Amino acid sequence: MNELPASPLPDNSAPFQRLHPLSIILKSLGTLGQNLFAILVLHFSLFDRNIFYTGLAAVALVALVVGVTALIWSRFTYQVTAKEIRIKSGLLNRNNRSIPFDRIQDVSLEQKLVSRLLGLATVALETGSGGGDDGKLDALSRTDAEALRDTIRDYKDGLKPSDAGAAEHSDRGETPPLFAMDNRRIFIAGLFNFSFVLLAILGAVAQNLDFLLPDGFFDPRNWLDALPGRETIDGFSSWARVGGALAAILSLVVVGLVSGIVRTFVREYGFRLDKVDSGQAGFRRRRGLFTLTDMVMPIHRVQAAILQTGPVRARFGWYHLKFTSLAGDASGETDHSAAPCATLAEIDPILEDCAIHQAAADLAFQPVHPAFWWRRAILALLALTTIALTAGLFLHPGFFAILLLVVPLGFIPYLNWRHHQYALTASQLFVRAGWWWRRLAIVPLRKIQTVDVSQSPLDHPLDLATLTIGIAGGSTIRPVIIQDIGFAQAMDLRQQLIEAIGQNRLPGHA
Amino acid sequence: MNEQTPQMVPVDPDSDEPLRPYNQGLTPLHPPQKNLIRINMIIRALILLALGLAAEILLQVQLGTTPGMVLIPVALFALMLVLALPGRIYRRWGYDMGDEQLRVLRGFLWRTDTIVPFNRIQHIDVAQGPLQRAFGLSTLIVHTAGTHNSIVTLPGLATADAEAMRETIKGHIRQDMI
Repeated sequence: MNELPASPLPDNSAPFQRLHPLSIILKSLGTLGQNLFAILVLHFSLFDRNIFYTGLAAVALVALVVGVTALIWSRFTYQVTAKEIRIKSGLLNRNNRSIPFDRIQDVSLEQKLVSRLLGLATVALETGSGGGDDGKLDALSRTDAEALRDTIRDYKDGLKPSDAGAAEHSDRGETPPLFAMDNRRIFIAGLFNFSFVLLAILGAVAQNLDFLLPDGFFDPRNWLDALPGRETIDGFSSWARVGGALAAILSLVVVGLVSGIVRTFVREYGFRLDKVDSGQAGFRRRRGLFTLTDMVMPIHRVQAAILQTGPVRARFGWYHLKFTSLAGDASGETDHSAAPCATLAEIDPILEDCAIHQAAADLAFQPVHPAFWWRRAILALLALTTIALTAGLFLHPGFFAILLLVVPLGFIPYLNWRHHQYALTASQLFVRAGWWWRRLAIVPLRKIQTVDVSQSPLDHPLDLATLTIGIAGGSTIRPVIIQDIGFAQAMDLRQQLIEAIGQNRLPGHA
Repeated sequence: MNEQTPQMVPVDPDSDEPLRPYNQGLTPLHPPQKNLIRINMIIRALILLALGLAAEILLQVQLGTTPGMVLIPVALFALMLVLALPGRIYRRWGYDMGDEQLRVLRGFLWRTDTIVPFNRIQHIDVAQGPLQRAFGLSTLIVHTAGTHNSIVTLPGLATADAEAMRETIKGHIRQDMI
């Protein structure tokens, strides 16, 4: 902020604006939707199914909700100045927030189904200041929202917004996308997006509507009693029972596949990633079937690239490219999805745009210490033996079968060990991890913030250490981490990383 | 990096400890910090003893256990907290102000060794609690933009040292790193 001595525009010249009036309807609808259920409950309980009382209550509710929403709307104003956006809000507790354009990590426009019908769009400004939307304008007309987005996107120190805006409108929409997904590709992505969300939703619905279900619906004992005589099942041949179990598993798989595909279609439909060159170079991503989102993220905000895949997906050559930046994706993901299902050949040009390079074919990845897997395997064995012994001796000898779990619990760490590798080049650090959820993090050295070498009590006898790379943004649960390498090796690697940070400390380079 | 820090010395399997002293030859914390740790440990030990006493009485009344079955182990543990641990904890802290970076080493069983380049630091706190004030100590807290380990804390500095370090680091802070 301190680079520009005087702004060409006086800061307070811009008028304070209100949100689009139709947003009152939009928000009221949302609130009413949440309260519909309450009205229904009242209809059946307090009002004793009297449609007149229910209607009266509904009218009162609508009036109250619309009134309050309108009041909130009237007290919400925003002002776009040359360098920042100011938002005044609040009925009783007034809040006056100013967000400098400098600090905005990305801007996203979101249009839910209703907003699309009304021609509105919600603008969400992310500054990466821990949690939630930092600035949310809900909602503006689509054109206003786009204009605001362009103002922020084109903001650059010393560049008047109008300068950039003029040059930019000519090439809008005509350039071929950096990456796009057709329906076939989204279908493929959905196949690998296997999830039990649908099942979970059904379960949650059943849980919440349990007043409609008979008492004790979830109590298995009632089910055992209610079954039409256990003899019926016992009477089936063993093959029929195996068949029944297989059918149950198969139906689960189908539910998982279908819900994965549906979810992917809803989220990724019409996925398109463009490069915007006006103002600050950035990526623009549009996607969504019902809820359209349109996000712009400046390229220099990219902190690291993450390539995700799985054992099956990798065989077909599909990867999911994500960018880590200080602010999370508006849709709640920690990283910004840049190409949900792409081949390496498609990913290459996207990465090149942000000066990140794929690992060269001859780049030698270093493995980590084998203790990575055998230590886990031994720990699993110890834990399982304890459980199996206690349960087997005191409860039922059948529990000794728990010991069989040692085989997968030992083998999976081995596979994970095989896939945990790292490599260091002159400008980038590559860290591979995970066998099932394969993840390759590519961190430009100039983006590294801190480097930790840590040792747990179990590491001391083997003289191992874990190296944690702190970058701005990304998941706190899964940071970029190199586990179980020799202590001297870790110190050496850290030395190289820190030296590289020092060398890259050129002005404007970081 | 200071050249005299022996962190790059190859590890000799026979004589591991001398080559890698407790804090790897980094600057130790200000000596009064040891007493501060001890006072904190005494407070913890007293709480522990109170809990142990309560458990002891409860068990004796309810189950009729032999006197001292709870209290004696608890007392031994509390004694260890007060006598053995403070020195060890103190010894294993270390920091190093390099030309370009701050290095902080801490922990005995769970060791962590952090390096923060100065130009990555977003802002700095020098904090002081009431007990710390009595000992003339301060805590230096540096914040980076990182998500993991974005707050690096270095307690037990002489207040003057902490303020001097803050001034040094301040000169390296730059705007708009991210």
